[in-house]
Amino acid sequence: MTFARYSERIEGLHYLAGKMELSGSRVRRYLMQELFCTSQKVLESNLDIVQNALELLNDKRFNNGIMQLRHLFTQVHDIRGTLDALRENRVLDEVELFEIKYFAALCRDFITLLGTLGFKHENLQSLQKTFDLLDPVGNGMVSFHLYDAYSQALSQARKLAKGIDPEKETDRWNDARDRIREEELAVMKRLSSELSPMHIVLQDNFDRIARLEIWFAKAALAKRYGMVRPRIATGPDRFVFQAEGMINPVIADTLKSVNRVFQPVSISLESGPCLLTGANMSGKTVVLKTLALIQALAQFSFFVPARSASIPLVKDVFLVIGDKQDQYRGLSSFAAEMLELDRIMARIRGGNKVLVLADEPARTTNPAEGAAILCALVEFLDRHKTMSLISTHYGDLGLSCRKLRVSGFDSTQVKGRLDPLMMNQHMNYSLIEEKEESVPMEALHIARLLGVDETFIQSAQQYVKNTKK
Amino acid sequence: MPFVDQIVRCGSLSVVGLGKNTGKTECLRYVIKRLSEMQKVVAVTSIGVDGERTDQVTHTAKPDIFLDRGMYFTTAASYYLEKRFDAEICHVGEHTTVLGKMVTARALERGKMILAGPSDTVSLREWIMQIPKRFHVDVCLVDGAISRLSPASPVVTASMVLATGAAYSPHMKTLVEKTRYVYDTICLPRAPEDLVKKLEGITNGVRAVTPQGDVTEPIAGQALLSEQVRQVLEKCGDRLYVPGVVSNILLKALGERKNASETELYIRDFTRIFAEPRVFYTFLRKGGRIFQLYKTNLLAVCVNPVSPDGVRLDSGQLVDKIQQAIEVPVYDIKRMEK
Repeated sequence: MTFARYSERIEGLHYLAGKMELSGSRVRRYLMQELFCTSQKVLESNLDIVQNALELLNDKRFNNGIMQLRHLFTQVHDIRGTLDALRENRVLDEVELFEIKYFAALCRDFITLLGTLGFKHENLQSLQKTFDLLDPVGNGMVSFHLYDAYSQALSQARKLAKGIDPEKETDRWNDARDRIREEELAVMKRLSSELSPMHIVLQDNFDRIARLEIWFAKAALAKRYGMVRPRIATGPDRFVFQAEGMINPVIADTLKSVNRVFQPVSISLESGPCLLTGANMSGKTVVLKTLALIQALAQFSFFVPARSASIPLVKDVFLVIGDKQDQYRGLSSFAAEMLELDRIMARIRGGNKVLVLADEPARTTNPAEGAAILCALVEFLDRHKTMSLISTHYGDLGLSCRKLRVSGFDSTQVKGRLDPLMMNQHMNYSLIEEKEESVPMEALHIARLLGVDETFIQSAQQYVKNTKK
Repeated sequence: MPFVDQIVRCGSLSVVGLGKNTGKTECLRYVIKRLSEMQKVVAVTSIGVDGERTDQVTHTAKPDIFLDRGMYFTTAASYYLEKRFDAEICHVGEHTTVLGKMVTARALERGKMILAGPSDTVSLREWIMQIPKRFHVDVCLVDGAISRLSPASPVVTASMVLATGAAYSPHMKTLVEKTRYVYDTICLPRAPEDLVKKLEGITNGVRAVTPQGDVTEPIAGQALLSEQVRQVLEKCGDRLYVPGVVSNILLKALGERKNASETELYIRDFTRIFAEPRVFYTFLRKGGRIFQLYKTNLLAVCVNPVSPDGVRLDSGQLVDKIQQAIEVPVYDIKRMEK
């Protein structure tokens, strides 16, 4: 599946793609078409390239070269139309011939610059022959016209026309111009057929330059967000996801704009389901989204936002947030969620190793059935050893699977009424292993700190006690 | 003629005709000729209107521009490929328009060509900035147009020459008045720098400028219909910014307000005013003020006393009359060439 499809599903991918320094829609299209990679060998070699690019970005000696490289990227034009024409053996016009010549000259600049930088990936092939064909006078200029040197007949026709005054002898001049046109056309035909066999190399270089730009943009993104190279999990640990100090770049950026910092979170997941509990506003959803983002980034050959990360390769990543209402099809959020889970389970039954991240599944229906659906889902994921993290507020489910809990709310620091916007200052987002069956009962406590009416809270507390009895 | 030296100092010039056959092409031709006599390298383009071979303002065929050997010019690929003289392509733009990509070429011999260059203000400004960087060009010339149909404003050039003539009005008095009116709009003062910075990025929605200098959210999409104008008047306070067209009814309504003398109207540039001279002057006479975000340096007015339907005004008298009304030099190009 392509990056474009994933960025619709996994929050944050689209955001990061937008932060990449790409010269335009031409390159962005290449990025969007990149495929989710499940081969360890390919990923390792891709990550080598990003690392190599990052080393260059970080090396002050190459500052100048990198700036030149960025400039060169902006000079590449979208010549797909011209390349198509060449492939289909059409006759190129002067503008298209210029574009080929210009592109050949650019490739020469790229080859020289990448040589200086010592960057040995996406090697471009020399287009000197192409350039020479379009530079018959050998002056090395990128400008182009149908040179006299191409044809004696053309040269003569032009000389003839020069001797005629278009105002005085209009007809004769027009005849002479038509003659020139014919000769020019003959030259264009000849050049096009000579260029045609070169279209494979031209197209290949065109693709490679776009990919080069993406490698460097991935490296620049890694530099900007302090991302690290993910270790691809192998051997006995090949089904273990381990990330130290994960950051969610989207939220980190939002917090940064109000002078706050994202608290990095560490996690380790193994085969089978794991439940994630925690008070309201404790960042459970963020953990799920960040995990999905890191997994997807790694398999699209990006560095990941964490201090260190070991990533098992999966066939697919599913992030089920449950707020998708498929209104066009008249589905409620519950129905949309159930159908999505059903699709995911079908994939898993088909024997695919996937990562499932579900946010409070079945929360939009009654608690009795909701909890039952959750238990059945956990049991299914356990049976199929599917690596998964499922957040929930349901407690006492009687499930034996692993549980993690967000450390939670530290109310000792709160003085007076709590500003909802300052909530995250009193929250410890780190994850701890939970042995208890019950879930944190902090909802009313938090509501009180938020300044919700006291009588209302007391009334609610009474109901909690009644239920417990 | 002195103004050609000024063009070189400014680096860019647009030639704008007040109407069809007012001598814009002759004027441009004259400037080109003088510049090449001075050994200056010139680049020329015309404000293009996408997909149209005819001039949107006058519905006449776009005239060919004469190009001298060594001149750079920018036009759409489909026009370029029809050329009947030798030229070399030096640059091809990235974006494709209905007429193809923008081609910048250098004439290798004398020739003529239909020019259809950048069709919006941003790309036109880009052209003026990039051309001298890419090539050794001394002066960028723009064959301009004043039209509400053209999103590109010639005001992006550092200087301007206005062409007017008998074809614009056959009566000398009216012609002088009409020319003076356009001159007065061109001379409207530039807005203070801090406001220019705040407003230049805003290209849609009529907005109020508060006494503290803050720009509000749009109070109306535009102010062309009486309902919209009423809405604008209700909410705009004393200072308002109209990024689009300043219509006759808006300016009229502003002039009729009690607080007309306190009113400050901010516009992008003079080409956005589409009001009757009477309405314009009433507004100013009542004490209202108009400021432009972009102001160009008007170097000269060129007159063409002859119109194609046979009107022939007295050249000397016409030059004198217009000269009395405005404060930049007035020339009859044809008479000077003789």
